[in-house]
Amino acid sequence: MFPTNFGFTWTPGVMFFLGAFYTVLLVVLTTVSMSFYRAWQSKRTANVDSLRWKEEFHDLPKYDRHCRHEFTGEFRERVCENTFDCRSCQMHGTVVALRTDTADIGEEQYGMSIPADRLYHRGHTWVRTEGRGEYTIGLDDLGTRMIGKADSMALPEVGSKLTANGPGWWATRSGIDVRVLAPMDGVVTAVGTAADDWVLKIRNEHADLRHLLEPREAGPWILREMERLQLAMTEDGMAASLADGGVPSEDLPKSCPKANWPSVWGQMFLES
Amino acid sequence: MLLAFGVYALARCLILGLNQTNMDNRFAFGLWIFLDLTVIALGAGAFFTGFLLYILRRHELKSVINSAVVIGFICYSGAILLLMVDVGQPLRAWFTFWYPNVHSMLTEVTFCITCYLMVLAIEYVPVILKNRKLRYIPSFLCFEFELHKLMYVLAGVGTFLSFFHQGSLGGLYGVMQARPFAYREGFFIWPSTFFLFIASAMAAGPSFLVLTTMLVEKISGKRLVEHSVLSLLGKISGMILIVYVFLKSLDTMVWINHTSPSAGVEAYRYYQWQPFGSWILFAEIVLFGLAPALILMNKSKREDMRWLVSAAALVCSGIALNRFVLTIQTLSLPSLPFDPFLSYSPSWQESAAFLAVVAYGVLIYSFSYRYLPLFPQERDLEASHVSH
Repeated sequence: MFPTNFGFTWTPGVMFFLGAFYTVLLVVLTTVSMSFYRAWQSKRTANVDSLRWKEEFHDLPKYDRHCRHEFTGEFRERVCENTFDCRSCQMHGTVVALRTDTADIGEEQYGMSIPADRLYHRGHTWVRTEGRGEYTIGLDDLGTRMIGKADSMALPEVGSKLTANGPGWWATRSGIDVRVLAPMDGVVTAVGTAADDWVLKIRNEHADLRHLLEPREAGPWILREMERLQLAMTEDGMAASLADGGVPSEDLPKSCPKANWPSVWGQMFLES
Repeated sequence: MLLAFGVYALARCLILGLNQTNMDNRFAFGLWIFLDLTVIALGAGAFFTGFLLYILRRHELKSVINSAVVIGFICYSGAILLLMVDVGQPLRAWFTFWYPNVHSMLTEVTFCITCYLMVLAIEYVPVILKNRKLRYIPSFLCFEFELHKLMYVLAGVGTFLSFFHQGSLGGLYGVMQARPFAYREGFFIWPSTFFLFIASAMAAGPSFLVLTTMLVEKISGKRLVEHSVLSLLGKISGMILIVYVFLKSLDTMVWINHTSPSAGVEAYRYYQWQPFGSWILFAEIVLFGLAPALILMNKSKREDMRWLVSAAALVCSGIALNRFVLTIQTLSLPSLPFDPFLSYSPSWQESAAFLAVVAYGVLIYSFSYRYLPLFPQERDLEASHVSH
């Protein structure tokens, strides 16, 4: 069969069979080798956090990917295909340019605190501009209630670089690690303590925060998030029953210990 | 427990030899080969769905491709495991590649199945690397991302390999001139069974995918895939099945009227040996062929999940019956005037070994379902279910 074997002869059948077999092997090996090579290259050159977010965003259900302009009624229904990165979304720029209403909303919506001095990320964090390229980052009110009293926090080291939508920090609750997405790019300059109402301070001289929600958008978004939370907490096979009043407790995992919290956190903090 | 019991039986067969089975020199193919052929046909959903998704761009099938790959991997790895025990001497497995018999269809099957299992394993890798924890390892993330981009190449290779090994498995019976019940004429070096096996596997693969998805939906109590996708799989299965039924009927007519009489045996005589009466031919072509094909071709019927599942079950049963007929009935029938009609029933070791493969498959699939995104639409459907 093979040239090294006793009695081997080159016949058309043998040539066809060996040719097909070795071609297949060559194609498979080339494909895998190319993937290895390109993976090695992208690990060196591309931003791994951005890559991970792209993958995760792609796997998020449509229900979690609604466009921010849907919350404000500027679109009736629109699913984001742009990894929540409004900075590169042409439609976002057009819609914002058409806005005339500048009225602000109150600092509390549906029992959730939404201070007007900050911008909000869809992964339940906020960003406050401190000036001179300094920013403060924290967990929003609903995010704080969803995690409750964390057992521990794994914060990035001072000097480390954060990427918008990459992992910001980890909170551990009941032995489960909850990943919180970083709302913006920057270098960590300080980390908060449990007593602080913020988590990280970061520096970025050229920050572009157009992808973050303004307080007026955060109000209707929070309403949608509270619905999403109740749906996520609905037991398998049960129909959702939405509360028509009240405010989520300060420590939801403690109040609802039977909920499937790894799944709820995964869904609410946008981990596919 | 089932797995442990089966592994014990497998070990006995490997260590003590095939005297642990009820096969002999005359009945050289038994339960294992019959079930190997069946699971390989049922696992064809992997290559066919990959072909439809990556080559023909039927994007709707994205929601079942991961499950199809895992099912294909289980079917092929399980079949190869049983073949390894059947052939024996696993330490000399490389002989088949280094000293192959170029005149045997099995050589082509061995080469193709081995290559295709390798392709399936590579296709399984990105599914594994999509695990939430593994994504945090940058090398895995980048590799998964890049490999996924080249998946269409692997889908093409898988289709090429599957075409040939599914065909050669059928060709294996069709070239047996000394067994006029199985022998068929054909085209060039390929007997008609070569093409019939390809068509039947392409019809059975999507149906098996429908069955497994519905079973997992039933067990988990969740909607996993939009039912329009399952209906599409049913339609594809039905369309190919109708072609298969036509070709099979044509082939049977030629065999009854020309091939078998030319070999000196009138075809009706094969069906005088009970329990293999002519009912088996009717069941194979009409009950498990034409009937499910007509159901699946009917839009309103296949959109009703009860009809769809029943038709898919009939298709899969039909494939099993076809492989049973070609393997067991062929070997049971006498081929010489002094030959007796043989009967065969598998030993407990043979049955336990197969059950071990079933247990292995259930374990792999369960772990994959638990830890990997087998059904990407699951969360979308869950959200729409609870919100309505």
